Order: sequence, then C-alpha cells, then structure tokens
Amino acid sequence: MSDPLPETGDGIQLNAVGNPTDLRLEMPTLMARELCKSYRVGSGKLQVLRGASVDLYGGQICALMGSSGSGKSTLLNMLGLLDKPDTGKLWLHKKEVQNLGQAAAARLRAAGLGFVFQQFQLLPELSAFENVLMPRRLAARGWWSRRKEERRSAREVLERVGLQDRLHHKPSQLSGGEQQRVAIARALVSKPAVLLADEPTGNLDRKTGTETLDLLLRLGREESAAVLLATHDPDVAARCDRTIFIRDGVIFNQVPE
Amino acid sequence: MSLLGLGIQYFRTRLLLLMSAVAIALGVAVLFTVLAVMNGFLAELETAIRDLSGDAVIETARTQNFEQHTLQDFEGWLADVDGIETLEPQLTWYGLVGRRGGRSVNDPRSADLSGLMLVGTDEDIAPDVAAELGPDDPLPMKMGVGAAKELGLQVGDEIGVITFVGRRRGRGAPLQRTFKLVGTFSTGRYDQDLNRAVVRRHDLSQLLRHATGFSQVIVRTQADADPLLVAVAIENRLQVVGTAAPGYRTTYDWRNRGGNLLRAVENQRGMLSIVFFFIVLVAAYQLVATLTLTVSEKRRDIGVLRALGATPKRIVRFFVTLGLLISVLGIVMGLALGHWLINNLPTVERWIGGGQPIFRAEIYKFDHIPVAVDTQSVLLLVGMTLLAALIFSLIPAWRASRVTVIKSLRKR
Repeated sequence: MSDPLPETGDGIQLNAVGNPTDLRLEMPTLMARELCKSYRVGSGKLQVLRGASVDLYGGQICALMGSSGSGKSTLLNMLGLLDKPDTGKLWLHKKEVQNLGQAAAARLRAAGLGFVFQQFQLLPELSAFENVLMPRRLAARGWWSRRKEERRSAREVLERVGLQDRLHHKPSQLSGGEQQRVAIARALVSKPAVLLADEPTGNLDRKTGTETLDLLLRLGREESAAVLLATHDPDVAARCDRTIFIRDGVIFNQVPE
Repeated sequence: MSLLGLGIQYFRTRLLLLMSAVAIALGVAVLFTVLAVMNGFLAELETAIRDLSGDAVIETARTQNFEQHTLQDFEGWLADVDGIETLEPQLTWYGLVGRRGGRSVNDPRSADLSGLMLVGTDEDIAPDVAAELGPDDPLPMKMGVGAAKELGLQVGDEIGVITFVGRRRGRGAPLQRTFKLVGTFSTGRYDQDLNRAVVRRHDLSQLLRHATGFSQVIVRTQADADPLLVAVAIENRLQVVGTAAPGYRTTYDWRNRGGNLLRAVENQRGMLSIVFFFIVLVAAYQLVATLTLTVSEKRRDIGVLRALGATPKRIVRFFVTLGLLISVLGIVMGLALGHWLINNLPTVERWIGGGQPIFRAEIYKFDHIPVAVDTQSVLLLVGMTLLAALIFSLIPAWRASRVTVIKSLRKR
C-alpha cells in the first residue's frame, strides 16, 4: 500500500511533486485569456482564433481536440510563443508573456517550453544524441557552461525513451516511431514546465502511435509538465486527464469542467 | 553539439560550401604568391643595392674634392656619428673593355668592346697576385658573369682596358692597361652582372693617376642601426664641417640609391595587391550567394532552431560563423597552395610557359624569381579576407534571422 498523500497545514492535499491535487486551488502554469488571431488572406482577413482561453496545470495532460482548420495549431503556436496573438493575454508562471520580443520569447522557449511536432522536425545532419542536446546548448550561456551535465542529461533522456542503442544514428537511419521518440526526448531534455505536442501520433501507424503516446503520457506525468496535446483522435483524447474542444477558433467545452 | 557543430555538419554535407572555400583559396593563393614575389623582388633588390653600394654612400658633385681629402679626414669628421660600422673607400671609373687579342681593343667600333664600370675596391680579389706589379704585368680583374659572357671571356684571359681622364689643362689623355680575368661574380642582378668589373683600388688608382685613390666612401652601418638615420646624421655632420669638407653635400642611403627601381617595384606591389585583392573580394562575395542558398534550403532547420530557443541574434551568429568557417578553410587552403606555388615557381613557370621561361632575367634584373614571405602582408591578407567574409556573411545571416518560425515549420 502506498503512503498517503501529504497535506498542507490548511488541509489541501498535495500530489507526489508537491502540487495541490485539486487543480482549481493551484495557479495554472500557463494561462491564456481571450486570445484572438487573424491572418491576411488575399485582400481579406481570416479570423482563426476568436477569444480562446485555456489554463494548463503542471502534471496534467490535456487534449486539444478539434477538426482540421479549427485553430488547434494556431492556439498551440500562441501558447508556445511561436506567434503573437492580435489581442488577449498569456501568462507563463504568472508572468505576462504575450508581448515579449523575439529574443526574450526564444529564451523562454529554450528554458520552459517543449515542442513535439507531427513531422518530428529533427535536424537531419545531426545524430539523435546531438538533436536532443541542441535545446540545452541553445539555452546555455557561454561555450563551456555545464557541458558534461548537458551531455549526461541528453543521454539519460534518450535512455528513458528507449533509444540508448540509437544515440549516434541520424534521423534518416531511424524509423518514424524512433524519430518521434527522439523528438519527445528533445522536448523533455530541458525539463520544460509546458510541453506542447501537435498531433504527435498523426504521422505514425496505429501500433507505433499508441506506443509513442504511452511514452509521451508517461514522461509528461513523470516530469510533472503541463502537457497540451493537439489531436483529432478521440482515443488519444480519452487517455488524457482533460479535453479541450475547439471549433472555429473558440473553446467551447472543457471536460472535465 | 553546439551550433558550430551544426555548421561543420552543413559544411561536410554540402559541396557548394566547399566550393566557396575553394574559390576563396584560389584568390588567397594568387594574392599570397604575388605578394611573396613582389616582396622577394624588393628584398633582393635591397640586398643587391646594399651589397654593391653599402648602406649609405658619400659622394660629391666635384670629383676633385676627393683628391684633396684622405679617408682619415672622413674618419675624423664622422667619428662621433653613431651607427657607422665601417667606411670603405671606393674608386669607380668607366672604361672600354675587350679581350686582348680580339679584333681590336683600340678600335672603339669593335663589337668585342664593352663599356664597363670599373670598381676599385680594397677587397682582396686576387690573393695569389702580388700587391705591386710591373708596368707590363696584367692586373687582376673580376667581372660580372653577364659581362664576361658578352665578351666571350674565360678565367685566365687577358683583357685590354682603355679609359680617359680629363685634365685641367690640355686635352684628356687615353690610358691603356692590360688586365687578367681572375674570376667572375654574380650579384643576382642581371644589370649589375652585365656592366661591372671589379679591380683592386690601388691598381685603378695608379692607372688613373688619382691622388687619393677614391671617388666615393661606402658606409656600412651597424646591424641595429637604421641606415636612413645614419645617412641623415652623416649629411648633417658634413654640413657642420662644411668649410673643411666642401662639396660633400650629397649622402645617399641605399634606398635613394636604388631610387626609381625600388619605388617602381613598391608601386607595382601596391597596384598588384589591390588588383588581386579584388579576386579575393569576388571570391568572398560569392558567400552571399552560397549562404543565401543555404538559408533557403535550410529554412526548416532555422525554424526548428528558433522553436527550440535560438534567438535571432544566435541565428545571425550561426550563419556568420558558417561564412567565417568557409573563409578560414579557404584561407588555410589558399596559404598552403600559395606556399607550394612559391616553392615550385620554376616548375609552375615551365608549365605555364609550355617549357619556355616567362621570367626573363634581362627584363626583371634577377636571374631567378625571388620570393620572400612577409608576415605583415600575410596577416593583412588574412585579416582583409576575414573582414570581407564577415561583411558578406552578414546579409544572408540577417535574412536567416528573419525567417518566420511557423511558416518554415509548415513547409513540407
């Protein structure tokens, strides 16, 4: 029998990593309010996000479901600071970040955000190990800062995704599933507070997809990261803690509320 | 794996980047070779001039001045001038020289005669020959290889010399004497080897009935002394003792002595450096095209790097580093190629000229292609190439930093 969960003095129960088990009592790691985004298409304007609000909590796996063109990727880009909303606000660790400059946003991505893309997006010239090491190098200040530790953590995370025998293989020498596992390792190597995955199993066959999803969910929980997983597969969403539905750029339902 | 590592990987997998390095290498090699040859010309010219004329020369417009003063007078006047190693008296005169027993030494129309500068020196050019010789004994003479060849002379041949000395009263009288070729010399300067003969100063002085036996004083400076400063100091000193040493107003350092030729070579070096630097510049300029193409091809990679946390500044630094990496490789290859070229110039000359020498001694003064690698010139070449590469890399690097992350990742 496992040990009972610890409590704070005022009766709030904490989880294994010290966060309140009742997420409504906890401040969201990432909080978005009324995000709007439109793109110019020809002479007109295409409104992709229409006031989307989302809260992501550490240790919670969240599915973002919606049909193609519903605004899933655009919302993910906003939350990942890859793009700026036209209006609305975004907080990461209580810090307002929607208006950060390119350099500051990049530094924040390096330090606190992890990405897993549908197309894997590995650098083809680099080995699996070098791909995983890259975010740490980008986040590092100075040439020789903590090199040994960075290499150790890259090796460790690759072992955790089961690729200890593929460290020096180039992406072209890996299967699709293995490439996505490298991408997951790369997203987790910096121990991000938020992990954003855009249809991570969309490019994989069912069996490999299931294995990859298992891995992503397990590691996301182990790392206590706030995970947002964009998908249009209900089976994938069913395995997450919470599902956010998006249609025409509007969040219309969150399960459980 | 840092971004530098990624740059090296790009370099290894893309032939285009290597070709850019080769283009820079060719430019650098050509400029390095041209600079080495031009510096070689200047260095050898300097050595030849200093060997022949000393570091400074005391001359006068009035030759009779030298007849009034002795070497001891000069030593006395210049005793407190710093930097002087030796003062060597030298007597120079012109004479018609021909092989004795040739068509006619006495016939100035003869093609066997050649006008040579006779340089009377205290150097022992013939140790085996007695210092004092009888009036009919041939006097020893060494001749430039070019002059000996021109006159068809061999060592041991007897030589007739005719010269004229102006007299204050009456007409100049022709003077004639027999010399014997005791050896030839090669200064490395074709013109000097063609028109010079060295004799004993004492012999020449007797032949010319010259009072003091010297017409100029060759000054050799100490190794650490600047010849130009010593020359100026001598000039000033001679002006101070003006009344005692009238007319000795003209003192040349070796640079003035070589005058126009030195300046021409220096000028040519400058011009060629500019012209050939344009080759390096054009080679470096194609970095713009190469890196722009790389930026276009690697747009997705740039997007990934940006998503992973690379700042725009970091992307600029990455592409500038890539440009510098290409140019450093180009410079290293260029210097190696240039080094090989200057060490194999005769072979290269034969290749280019189809077996015929391109470098003609009678035109270029030297009987070989002189080379000298000047560290300062090489550093300047390397610095300018790197600077050009830096500037030309900035344009594509800036474009790379402007890549939109979302667009580049969306691209299949």
